[in-house]
Amino acid sequence: MLQLHFTPEWFNGWDLVFDTIGLVIALLIAGFSWRIYRMQKENRYAYFALAFVCLAMGFGFKLLTNGIYYFEPVRDVAAGVLKPVAGPRLAFANLFYRAGFFLEMAPWLGGLLLLFFISQKPRERLHKYYELSQIGLFVYLVLLISIVSNFTFFVFYLTSMVLLSLIVLNYYKNYLNNGNKNTLQIMWAFLLMLLGNVFFVFVFLWSGLYFFGEVLLLAGFLVLLLTYTKVVAKWRGA
Amino acid sequence: MAARRSRLELVFDILLSIQNKGGKIKPTHLMYKSNLSHKLLNSYLEELIEKGLVSVEEEYVKKRDGPLKTVIITEKGLGFLAEFRRMREFTDAFGL
Repeated sequence: MLQLHFTPEWFNGWDLVFDTIGLVIALLIAGFSWRIYRMQKENRYAYFALAFVCLAMGFGFKLLTNGIYYFEPVRDVAAGVLKPVAGPRLAFANLFYRAGFFLEMAPWLGGLLLLFFISQKPRERLHKYYELSQIGLFVYLVLLISIVSNFTFFVFYLTSMVLLSLIVLNYYKNYLNNGNKNTLQIMWAFLLMLLGNVFFVFVFLWSGLYFFGEVLLLAGFLVLLLTYTKVVAKWRGA
Repeated sequence: MAARRSRLELVFDILLSIQNKGGKIKPTHLMYKSNLSHKLLNSYLEELIEKGLVSVEEEYVKKRDGPLKTVIITEKGLGFLAEFRRMREFTDAFGL
């Protein structure tokens, strides 16, 4: 096993299990939202599905790069494949990790930004041209932040934290408007993810914080799963 | 003022009205319950019959010119109601 940037060594591998669970939950929610889109043909459902697909992609790339890093036989195979391209003198490990981190960050931040937009606007939102200009702007910002974050890792977690704070605020406002307990539960789910990101920001102080961050992130996704199951199971066989 | 109902919401309201009446309803009652004009209801009913969500039973009664019609919700129609409720719950919960 290899020591990653701020990851405690004893936790290497376990975080992959946590992230796999997050990935499955994100895909489950995206799938249901896509089903509604196919039936109702309303953009908001497609965007919501896309947001969760982005989060799942973030998890997927993290699993791929960390998985290769953690397990030596896989790492050797990957190194063998990339050696002719990267050349013998290139710091393969560093390059690979940066590329993987970039591929994790861009869809993750994109997904969160999309969730922020969706949870923020009133019913008839995201009209065609308005949509395009916003999407263009946020793609630029997400790419910019992802590139900068490759040099200073905590920028990514900080940005993710800010976006999650805004999403939590939007869900709290939604809860105040509709009084729906499930909305409150979703707010709690994002709040747990936000707390997880707070731990990630300060992980440079003590690597153990990474573990708490991962646990809180997983807890957030499990609360999302709980709400999703409650919502979907409620009218089964009604 | 209430927002205009979407096509799916109208279908949901029609099927819900039938379900609330125990799964069977007369077309005139259905018209009032679902708050639709005669013409619009008929066009929706045609579509629902075609898709197998409802069926129409005709009963011949004495002292009546035509048959007595009853609209019945099918298993598929009940399935649609459950699916629509799940979608609505999801939409409300996730603030969509």
